Amino acid sequence: MALTEDDVRGIADYARIALEGDELAEMCAYMNDAVEMLEPILAYNLPDVDPTFHPIGGLSNVMRDDAPDAARAFTIDEALGNAASTRGRSFRVPSILGEEA
Amino acid sequence: MATLDTLTARQIAAGVRDGAFSATEVARAALDAIQARDAEVQAFLQVTPELALEAAARVDAARAAGEPLPPLAGVPLAVKDNMNLAGTRTTCASRMLEHYESPYTATCVARMLDAGCVPVGKANMDEFAFGSSTDSSAFHPTNNPWDTARVPGGSSGGSAAAVAAGEVALALGSDTGGSIRQPASFSGVVGMKPTYGAVSRYGVVAFGSSLDQVGPFGRTVEDVALAMDALVAGGRDPYDSTSQDVPPRFADAVDTDIAGMRVGVIPAFMDADGLTPEVRRAVEGAAHSLEAAGAELVEVELPHLDAAIAAYYVIGPAEAFSNLARFDGIRYGYREPDCATLAAQSSLSRAHGFGAEAKRRQMLGAYLLSSGVYDKYYYAAQKARTLITEDYARAFDRADVLLMPAAPRTAFKHGEISDPTQMYLSDMYTISLNIAGNGGITVPVGLGEESGLPVGAQLVAPAFADERLIAFGAALERACAGAWDAVRGAAAAGEGARFGAPVAPAFAGKGGELA
Repeated sequence: MALTEDDVRGIADYARIALEGDELAEMCAYMNDAVEMLEPILAYNLPDVDPTFHPIGGLSNVMRDDAPDAARAFTIDEALGNAASTRGRSFRVPSILGEEA
Repeated sequence: MATLDTLTARQIAAGVRDGAFSATEVARAALDAIQARDAEVQAFLQVTPELALEAAARVDAARAAGEPLPPLAGVPLAVKDNMNLAGTRTTCASRMLEHYESPYTATCVARMLDAGCVPVGKANMDEFAFGSSTDSSAFHPTNNPWDTARVPGGSSGGSAAAVAAGEVALALGSDTGGSIRQPASFSGVVGMKPTYGAVSRYGVVAFGSSLDQVGPFGRTVEDVALAMDALVAGGRDPYDSTSQDVPPRFADAVDTDIAGMRVGVIPAFMDADGLTPEVRRAVEGAAHSLEAAGAELVEVELPHLDAAIAAYYVIGPAEAFSNLARFDGIRYGYREPDCATLAAQSSLSRAHGFGAEAKRRQMLGAYLLSSGVYDKYYYAAQKARTLITEDYARAFDRADVLLMPAAPRTAFKHGEISDPTQMYLSDMYTISLNIAGNGGITVPVGLGEESGLPVGAQLVAPAFADERLIAFGAALERACAGAWDAVRGAAAAGEGARFGAPVAPAFAGKGGELA
């Protein structure tokens, strides 16, 4: 079943990408084309085939000592250096819960 | 004295080592070539004369002090702009990261610098590596040096074009679905995607974490082999948990005799819809050249590769959506001003920071990972991945390497392919390797009979047998050397055997004199 503009608006909200003006209709057309292109993959949902999630099998979490890595640790200035808005030692953001919170 | 573009990376390093010229002279020549050529090519987003001259001065000082020089001492290098290099911005050709200052240097870049390379700039790309043309760069397109009305391929189009135009001897690119091998084919240069895990991804902006791989561009297979040795020489990178130990023996493979070895060809690939007759003939010619060099041609099948494009456009966007969720305008990247809430700031920063294709891929990924849809598509794609990997394993029971086109056609014009899903098909011959993880190399084999534009053939090897790509790639380069005689002219005929494909004729010798 084709995705509607309402569906695509919901996906955009989840993806945190505001679609403006003609973008919603264009994105809806693209999404339906792309999903159609993906249809052949549905034939591969085979019960007797195991999925491969990664080209290197047998990966496991790599642990290191729970200690600061002096060579790689950023200073506060480095950590904040690429942020558009900071205050003191912190990143600055607008209200998280909205004005009414 | 000669212009820099007549020398390979190996020859530049040898000349610096022997004192024929200094690394500083080489760096100045490279910067001069960029000055003379890049207004037309537009391969670079940022040129870094200070970093280049500092690095060159260090090489010259080491030589003056009698210290042994590293293997690529003084060789000019372009770095794709999704790789961090301290002292440069890393923009991913996106407004989102237009002002992002690299906080450190990626392992792959650091290893090239450790090998003596001189960084001359950051190369253009499709935004966040989403594309096959480099036209989706937020800043400017890059022009194919063989015909500036055409694209250089993508997403590593700036890296490929910088090498093809003779601005640098080596460049780094990244390949998530063909982004090294396809632009190498369009631009007439050698480009190699090693096996996933062979080269560290630490410090490279992530797109598809199970698909991304870094690799080199050069004008000869030998130069690419030297770059590969530099990239793996430090061993496994502890900062990338997927990186693996790979012995640095690529340059040793250049002179391998391929007589008696088996080259697999896939008949179904040569009859595929969309493959142009000139590319088909060029790749068939490449197969016969390898046969004439003593290799045995065998036919193999890869029956599940029909699923590769669909599997890729499930896995790639899903991983891209997860990776690019970090761009929310808080810690780095574009931030929409004057937003009342964090949610509005995130949505508008992402809406205005990302270009159209970056939004499309993330939207598709968000949909594919949503409840109910995930089970249907994502598991199917990962099962197809199992079958594709098994297909390759069976093929390599019968063949040492496989030979196939790198792209179905030669370079297209800017704007010629506007439908994004049609653009995706230009990766039809490259994408399955990112899914299975094994390596491939594009080697230019001549000019297309109809288009007069470069055609590349792709060699594919089993996982972690990438030195075979160098062995067969060098053999193919030697076998196809005569194809370039008409481009080089009578005086230089026969040089293809030593130098591979020539610099694009419109740019050869333009600036870059080695004073």
